[in-house]
Amino acid sequence: MPDPLAYLDATGAALGDLPGFAQDGEILRALYKAMVRTRTFDAKAIALQRTGRLGTYASSLGQEAISVGVASAMTEADVFLPSFREHGGQLWRGVSLKELFLYWGGDERGNDFAKARQDFPVCIPVASQFPHAAGVALAIQQKGERGVAVALGGDGATSKGDFYEALNVVGAWNLPAVFLINNNQWAISVPRAEQTHAKRLADKAIGAGLPGIQVDGNDVIAVRDATERALKRARDGKGGTLIECLSYRLGDHTTADDASRYRDDAEVSPHWKAEPLIRTRNHLVAQHGWSKDDEETLLRSCRDEVEAAAERYLATVPESPRAMFDSLFASAPRDIATLAEEIDDG
Amino acid sequence: MAERTMIEAINMALGRALADDPDVILFGEDIGIDGGVFRATDGLIQRYGSARVRDTPLSETVIAGMAVGAAAHGLHPVAEIQFMGFLYSAIDQLTNHAARLRNRTRGRLTCPLVLRAPYGGGIRAPEHHSESMEAMLAHIPGLRVVIPGSPARAYGLLLAAIRDPDPVVFLEPKRLYRATSETVEDNGQALPIEQAVTLRNGTDVTLISWGAMLTETGAAADQLEAQGISAEVIDLSSLKPLDRAKFRTSVEKTGRCVIVHEAPLTAGLGAEIAADLAEHCLTSLLAPIRRVTGSDTVMPYPRLEAHYMPSTERIRQAVHDVMEYA
Amino acid sequence: MSTFTLPDLGEGLQDAEIVTWHVGVGDHVIADQPLLSVETDKAVVEVPAPFSGTITRLVADEGAIVKIGAPLVEIDIGKATDAGAIVGDLAKSPAAPPPKPLRTGTGARATPAVRRLAVDMGVDLASLTGTGPGEAVTSADVEAAATGLTAGQVLSGVRRSMARAMARAHASVVPATVTERSDISGWDSGEDVTTRLIHAIATGCYAEPALNAWFDGQRRQLHDNVDLAIAVDTPEGLFTPVLRDAGHAADLGPAIAALKRSVEDRSIAPDAMKGATFTLSNFGMLGGEFAALVVTPPQVAILGAGRITDTVHADNGQPVVHRTLPLSLTFDHRAATGGEAARFLSAVREDLERPKRDARE
Repeated sequence: MPDPLAYLDATGAALGDLPGFAQDGEILRALYKAMVRTRTFDAKAIALQRTGRLGTYASSLGQEAISVGVASAMTEADVFLPSFREHGGQLWRGVSLKELFLYWGGDERGNDFAKARQDFPVCIPVASQFPHAAGVALAIQQKGERGVAVALGGDGATSKGDFYEALNVVGAWNLPAVFLINNNQWAISVPRAEQTHAKRLADKAIGAGLPGIQVDGNDVIAVRDATERALKRARDGKGGTLIECLSYRLGDHTTADDASRYRDDAEVSPHWKAEPLIRTRNHLVAQHGWSKDDEETLLRSCRDEVEAAAERYLATVPESPRAMFDSLFASAPRDIATLAEEIDDG
Repeated sequence: MAERTMIEAINMALGRALADDPDVILFGEDIGIDGGVFRATDGLIQRYGSARVRDTPLSETVIAGMAVGAAAHGLHPVAEIQFMGFLYSAIDQLTNHAARLRNRTRGRLTCPLVLRAPYGGGIRAPEHHSESMEAMLAHIPGLRVVIPGSPARAYGLLLAAIRDPDPVVFLEPKRLYRATSETVEDNGQALPIEQAVTLRNGTDVTLISWGAMLTETGAAADQLEAQGISAEVIDLSSLKPLDRAKFRTSVEKTGRCVIVHEAPLTAGLGAEIAADLAEHCLTSLLAPIRRVTGSDTVMPYPRLEAHYMPSTERIRQAVHDVMEYA
Repeated sequence: MSTFTLPDLGEGLQDAEIVTWHVGVGDHVIADQPLLSVETDKAVVEVPAPFSGTITRLVADEGAIVKIGAPLVEIDIGKATDAGAIVGDLAKSPAAPPPKPLRTGTGARATPAVRRLAVDMGVDLASLTGTGPGEAVTSADVEAAATGLTAGQVLSGVRRSMARAMARAHASVVPATVTERSDISGWDSGEDVTTRLIHAIATGCYAEPALNAWFDGQRRQLHDNVDLAIAVDTPEGLFTPVLRDAGHAADLGPAIAALKRSVEDRSIAPDAMKGATFTLSNFGMLGGEFAALVVTPPQVAILGAGRITDTVHADNGQPVVHRTLPLSLTFDHRAATGGEAARFLSAVREDLERPKRDARE
């Protein structure tokens, strides 16, 4: 088995035997569709931001295979705790396009998911979702549930104590949790090489006594396979796993960033050849009869769905200013209520 | 009925909560077989098992962050931070997550957690063990901050905090842990979590305090009474949200106010109370509002500790000063 | 035709420089197609077309610095014009009311409560030398100045409260007084004057509710029940216990006696002296016939009853002697009219002139 774990090369050719699910054309098509849908959403979100109709937005361009691969391995009993760049996983889990637009458009209702009710909203303070995942795993263990807490963060997150401290308690308490790193090589302007002297981020698991696995994060089959194994291990009571997914951030950090200030095209362009969608499509064409018609139909349906969701988002009336008080506590203290009345009067 | 110290009352409330609610879980450093460094959890691991009374690795970030995750997924964690001086790394989790998860998910995910921490000076503890930094926590929107002033109030308020559907920081005045005892009935009755209490009625001046400083404040009120000055004493109890109606009504009656806290002066809770009174009770004020507080210094080591803490004499003198204004 | 303005690109940026136009006049563009590149303080970003249409005009040139909200390009979208690509209009704040004129300070040192007292009592703080800390003016200083006393006993307790209450009343109320004599020749010898007065006041209030009201200078509130303050004189000063729902009290005699007793032994609760809607001052027991009384805000009226005397009246040109009770009604003319006062007083007089209290239908 190659290390890092990979099943498809950059052209889509199989490197060896594929895991069972990857021999099923329907499953592969679903994974590909999810990645295309994610990228379509991503492009629309950037366009809306650039025309003043969405807030600052973090693109997942080039890293779609990671969160789609992870989420596709999960069950309903599992809980997803993503960072702010994992739209593909959220969409797979049932968060709607409109909810994502609402969240990035500055409306808290975007986090009140109609489905995936147990999943956490995206975590902005880097790495602070990992201790939450330990807590969710503790609750799962305590209540005798079947789920696993699945947290996903970036390469920069591995430099924080939160990440290590949470990994440590997952090991110490044998908690059902899987931590994944989207190693897209950049934490805003700081490259992976300057982030840590560790040879592999996956090696950071050693300090917690857990297995640390490196996978090709542009290979959706590898990501899903590694996640499935880690989930099974956790469900079998054997504890947590750290999975480092190697990928590349093709876009800016966010719409408020200009990556050309710190990296040039020569650094970026080779990575376009390794991005996850092309290899998956090539594989589908070669092995599962994916046609030009299939491709056009998919692109059109994703575009139509995203456009319709964007329109629904833009037509959503902002909440009453009272909303900022209404959800702060289960029942508003008198103190809060008084301030709320002042806002009403204003 | 037995007299209980505050630490016994807290232990009793924790035991009651574990017995009443299978979702209640305790974790923290050394809270298991050791029973906590102050013995707040003494005997609980024997009664409720190591799955529900857990020793964590030494990580305040994880204690707080894990409490957030566990609370959002259906448990009612009651986590202990060993001393307030070690709570600061937990403030990230409290501010960024515990206090806002309900709001940012519009009520989908909630955080019914309690973070307990002993705070305050006066027990000759090593450095970093004696601070009173409650104002930092009270500044955080979406958080409740509660400080009990007696064994019975500790029992009732801790049960209220554990049953509250939102995050509560429960700061325990450790100087009071074993200082006094009173009758505390293990009746499972919670006290109202947002209410200040009037410990004694008076007509000339309102003294507002909380936690261990109620001792000096009460002693000052006794001395003042002997001198013919009638002081009303309010135990604030809830530092966030504030029971503003309670202290406004009192100051409207007395026209004078002295606020006593152990925490440093600048941007302490006393400043918020004084500002509130200036905004809402200005024309009732017969005298300037006075604050008797710790100084804006680093908490000194035990040898100088007594010089830092507000004394009965300083409180009494402050009242005499404000009484000069007829 | 639709004008696309430079959108708010977020993070507090105020303007941007146009680097390159990717389209020209006459080009057909589709939504989300790149229109131009702009450089902000933070980044060079590509701005896409917000909607599809034909470019009819580039408003700003390359190299120009454009403020957020300034027009960039006009696009013919082939239908009705719109207000530009913005998320929505912010609600406008209501126009601010004109500012109130500022009041300047007095220069004297005094706490807010003392300043309020000085205003109420009409005392100029600047004229006083304070006896408090740092020569701050105290409430005792103000009260002494108000009464013209420079030496003597400083008021305390009930008398001090009375001084404040009266001064406050004097400062705000616009008093007017109307008087009347009621003929009580028909009364039985055993009639209790206070009981009859209470009954008559309730009758008057039901007939003319404008007098049974509260007024705070802006808002007026009429009351259904008559909560009657009964002025009781004591050596220490004036007490006003309140008889709740005086119009429906079952047994007035014992109720009044209990109130008076609670005043005399000082057991009366502070709450029992609050919330009155009307006041009765039966000063005639001590002496005097008519009086201009002091209304206690927020109440709007007070009825005074003077000493009962025999008075001579003309009856068909012949002098006759009647027993009469002199009535003085003082009301706050800001809240009640003279007509309302007169109607009230007539109703009171008529009620008093019935031979027996229970004769009312």
